[in-house]
Formats: sequence, C-alpha cells, structure tokens
Amino acid sequence: MKKLVVFGFLLGLIAVGPAVFAAEAFAADKAPFKIGVMAPVTGSWASEGQDMVNIVKLLAEEVNNSGGAGGRQIIIEVGDDGGDPRTAALAAQRLISAGVTAVVGTYGSAVTEAAQDIYADDGVLQIATGSTSIRLTEKNLPLFFRTCPRDDEQGRVLADHVQRLGFKTAALVHDNSSYAKGLAEEVKAILDQAGLQIPFYDAITPGDRDYTATLTKIKTVNPDIIIFTGYYPEAGMLLRQKKEMAWDVPLIGGDATNNLALTDIAGKEAAAGFYFISPPGPGDLTDEMSLNFLAEYRRRFNTLPSSVWSIMAGDAFKVLARAAADLEEPTAENIAAYLHGDLKDFVGFTGPIAFDQKGDREGDVYRLYQVDQNGVFILAP
Amino acid sequence: MEFFIQQLINGLAVGGIYALIALGYTMVYGVLKLINFAHGDLFTLGAYLGFTFLVSCGLTGAVGVGPAVVICVILVMGFSALAGHILERAAYRPLRKSGRLSAVVSALGASIFLQNAVMLIWGAKGLAYPADLLPRVVVSIAGQPVPLIRVVVFVSSLAVMVGLYLFINRTRMGMAIRASAIDQGAAKLMGIDVRRVIAVVFMIGPALGGLAGVMVGACYGQITFTMGQLYGLKAFTAAIIGGIGNIPGAMLGGILLGVVEAFGAAYISVAWKDAIAFFVLILILVIRPTGILPERVAEKL
Repeated sequence: MKKLVVFGFLLGLIAVGPAVFAAEAFAADKAPFKIGVMAPVTGSWASEGQDMVNIVKLLAEEVNNSGGAGGRQIIIEVGDDGGDPRTAALAAQRLISAGVTAVVGTYGSAVTEAAQDIYADDGVLQIATGSTSIRLTEKNLPLFFRTCPRDDEQGRVLADHVQRLGFKTAALVHDNSSYAKGLAEEVKAILDQAGLQIPFYDAITPGDRDYTATLTKIKTVNPDIIIFTGYYPEAGMLLRQKKEMAWDVPLIGGDATNNLALTDIAGKEAAAGFYFISPPGPGDLTDEMSLNFLAEYRRRFNTLPSSVWSIMAGDAFKVLARAAADLEEPTAENIAAYLHGDLKDFVGFTGPIAFDQKGDREGDVYRLYQVDQNGVFILAP
Repeated sequence: MEFFIQQLINGLAVGGIYALIALGYTMVYGVLKLINFAHGDLFTLGAYLGFTFLVSCGLTGAVGVGPAVVICVILVMGFSALAGHILERAAYRPLRKSGRLSAVVSALGASIFLQNAVMLIWGAKGLAYPADLLPRVVVSIAGQPVPLIRVVVFVSSLAVMVGLYLFINRTRMGMAIRASAIDQGAAKLMGIDVRRVIAVVFMIGPALGGLAGVMVGACYGQITFTMGQLYGLKAFTAAIIGGIGNIPGAMLGGILLGVVEAFGAAYISVAWKDAIAFFVLILILVIRPTGILPERVAEKL
C-alpha cells in the first residue's frame, strides 16, 4: 500500500512537473516589469495617496492574474512622499534604487517638481497623476508625462464659468502652493482681460484652522463670488467659517477641492451651493470598464475612491501596462517613444488618453460641479 | 470700527487657544527647565480622544449635548493627563540625571512617537467633528454676530487659566510647584516631594493641551494628526513672548499672538500674516529679551 502511494506520488510529479517547469520557464522568459507608485500615503493628502496605492495595486493584481503584461509580471513598489517636497526627493531615490522602470504619481505639483529631475537624471519614466501646474511639462523632460490636465486649461474653464454664471466682481484666494498660485494667476489674467473686477487677491496659509480674519477682510470688498484655487481641507474650512459668519456669498473652487472629505469638514449645510470644476469624479464614470472596476474596488475596500485623482493614477498604470505589453523591450526610452507617438485610441477610466510632444494629455476633461443640499457632488447645468 | 472689532474678536478666539496650549509649555519649563516638544502632540491626542468620545461613542445622542460635552471634556482631560504622566515616566524621568540635551532629544522623540501613534490608531486621513454636533447659535457682541461656540471656547479657556493661576498661587500644591520652580534642591530640603510636583505638572499641562484639542475640534471641525505641529510652534512662541515659566505671561503671549495675527491679516496682508506676527514677536524679544512678564530668574544669581 505504502509503495503504491509513493508510486502514485511519483506519477503525479511526472504528470504535473513539466507543466510547473514550463510555466516557470515561460514566466522567466521575460523579466518582471517594475513600476513605482509615488504617493502621499501619509500627510495632509493621505486620503488621496492611499486611494492611489490601492487602485494601482488592485489593477496590477488583475493584470498579473491574467498572465501579466505581455507575459511580464508587474511588480509594484510604493514610495511615500508624504505630500512634502523634501520627503519626495527621498521617496524618489528609494524607488530608483529599487530598480523601477517607470513611476506613477504623484498628487501635488510642488511634490512632483521636487522629484522630477531626480527621475530624469536616472532615466526613469514618470507619469504624474494630480500635478496640474503648467511648468512641469514646459521643462521638456523627455520622460515626463501626466494623465491629468494642466492649470492653463483649468484656469480657462474656471474663468469661463465665472463669467458665464454672471458674476461681476470676484475675490481671488490661493494658498501659495505652486499649484494654487499658478491657477490663481491664470484665472486672474483671463478675468482682468475680460474686464471683471478683482478687488481682493491674496494667499491663506494652508494647515491653519482659523480663516475668519481673512473672510472678514474679504467681506469688506463685498465680491459677487470668492474663487479659491487651493485644496479641499482649506476649502472646507472656508465654507464652514463663512457659514458661521452667516455670509452667503458663493464660492467656486478648482479641481483640488474635488474630494468627498470637503463635505465632512464643512458640514452639509455649509457645503451646499459650493461650485467647483473638475474632471469627472468616480461617481460620474458610467462606462462598463469603470463600473466593473469600481465595483471590485468597493468589494475590496468597502468604499469608493474619494476623488478623481487616484483614478488618474489608475489610468497612468493602465497606460504603462499597455506599453509593457506592446513593446519588445519596455525600457523608459522605448515607453516614452511609444507614448509620444504610438498610443492612439486608448481608452482609460477618464476617457480617451493620448499624449502630446510635451507629455501633456490631449483633449478636454473639465466639468462644472455643484454640491447639493445632501452634500452630494452633482454636475451643474 | 466695526471691522476692527470683528477682527479683534477673531484674534481673541484664536489667541485663547494658543494661550491654553502655551500654559503647558510654560509650566513644564518653569519647574524642569525643559521644553516639552511633545506637548503639541498631546494637544492632537486630545482632539482625537474628543472625537472618539463625542462622535464615535455617540455620547451626544446618548445623554444630550450639554452633559455630553462636559463628560467628554472631563474624560479627555483625564486621559491626556494620564498620557502626560506616562510620557514623563517613560521619556523624561529616566533622563533627569543626564544632560539637558538628552532630555530635549527625548522630547523630540516622544513628539514623533505620539504623532505616528495617532496616525496609526485613527488613520492618516483627517477626521471632522460633524458640523451639526453642537447647536449653531449666534450671539451678538458689540453689534457683531459671533458663533456662540467661539465665545464659549474663549470664556472657558480664560476661566481655566484663572483657575490655574489661583491654584498655583493659593494652594499648598501650588506653593510647592512655585518652590520647585525657583530651586529644586532647596525645595527638597524643605520637605517638598519634588518628584510628585513634577508628576503633577506633567498631568496639568497635558490636560490643558487636551482640552485645547477638543476646543479646536469643536470650533473648526477638521482635525489631522499633524495639527499639533503648527499649534505647538505658535503656542511655544507665545510662551516665550510672555516670558517662559510665567503663567500670566503665557496667557498674555497667546492672546497677543492671536490678535497680532488677525490684525496683520486684516490691515497688511493675509499671506504675510505669520511673517508679520513673528516679526512683531522678534521686536518684543529685542526690547525685552526675557519676554513681557519674565520669570524671576535673576533671583537665583
């Protein structure tokens, strides 16, 4: 009986062995493809960063389970930039020494800028996902791309909506970050030209809790609308404190205010009526691919990604996976050439994706949103 | 004039919180000549504990708003005091005999430890005290509408400060604290248990810090695990300006800093608010290097 078992075991080995070896040999054929994710996993934008990492890891798992990108297994390395330019430089060094070919991320423009040259020097391709500051792509770095739009585009759309909604005077507030300041300058230039009055133009300090002094000052110039070009934590507190002052001037924000946490911080009552422009959010994606993915995401993490920027990271990953599948040798240079020239008719979660020669995304993605009485972000007419 | 009064009120509300946190720095410094860098993070801890009691445990729903706030404040102050006590036992007492520098490094380490502990326990995403947690009442002060919560915050921080002042100046324990602040050796010879004094100081300071944390949460909503850094820095500055080691000085310094900030933003530039505030503070220090109300250090010489 014992012999029989041993015999059976050997027989099994003979039958299964080659299959195992063959599979290994096949996988060993192609070296794994290493992608870095640089994201603010900690710090004040941690909500964005954690979503980014979750999305990319989930997508990578899907690709690997279905045989990899063109037979290559994808390995994800995470680098936490903490939403801070100084930490970003360290994260970039860490990802480079981990041997990544390409990097997805990151969110803040100033943070991307700190890491940009480090990646360029070491020949690592970077696809930024939330960094909309103009000058990032004006440096003509051959290996730099982004799946998010640029501030000049955003500034144009924001200024258009302010005029279209019929406002005549506007207070313009930014937070001195390179993103918010760039966007504010862009909007100001367009509104000045269109003849709108801008009696207040100044910057608040992000991370502060009390903006009542600023709001009281803005109130003295009595604008038709306040334009705030910074991020959601400050936008939320501006709304909350504006409500406490019982002042009902409308507020419009840029795409960095597109985060569900805004309603939590401001409270539903104070957030109601807030306008912002943004690429379509997670709740507005209605194509089958996105719906399936979001369902899987919800099953895994019990919630939806809180903003569109982490979805942009998903798109950056998809583009890289496609390049790795199509290219014989997916080096950073080859992928760059592929993205600049050959990537056509590729559909990501946020719509068709193609890149121009500077590495910017082509096409129009912005929409106007408004927060309704229940704190839900709805497309505004 | 209306604008001036409104901005003064804005400044006082912010300054009251700075003052409350500054008391923790100044008390510890007074007795130990140690800057407790972890104090800002005990403040953060207080804000998160408050969130847990008020929101996660549903205290307001269970016993009504008023009692809930009182219970929450007592619990938070108790737990913060406990945390401060543990901190003193673990990070400072073992280093009492070593150099001043080791204690400073230990304080910085404790600060980083606490900050990361808060992040790991409550998560890196910020939390928000619900806006409808407390009823929204607006009162009128000098013709200006002011949310009641801000008035409550300012008045209760003033009350706590006055209470502390009386405690320090009118009680036996207070006298022991003052004696230890002037000369620990002599205090010991007079039969004062200096170790107990230090332990008490390290419970009162963090309790006030925790209270300030709940106030910031209730007042502004958003709490993040990094919030202690900025508040800690501002309060530390306030303590220095007032004359570190001196309790009325810390109150004065905190309120002054808040008001200078508000007026800087109001009359000069919002973006330059902090720069202006710190410039004024440097000016004060140039004129009075030991702060507005200096602790009587000279007596020791």
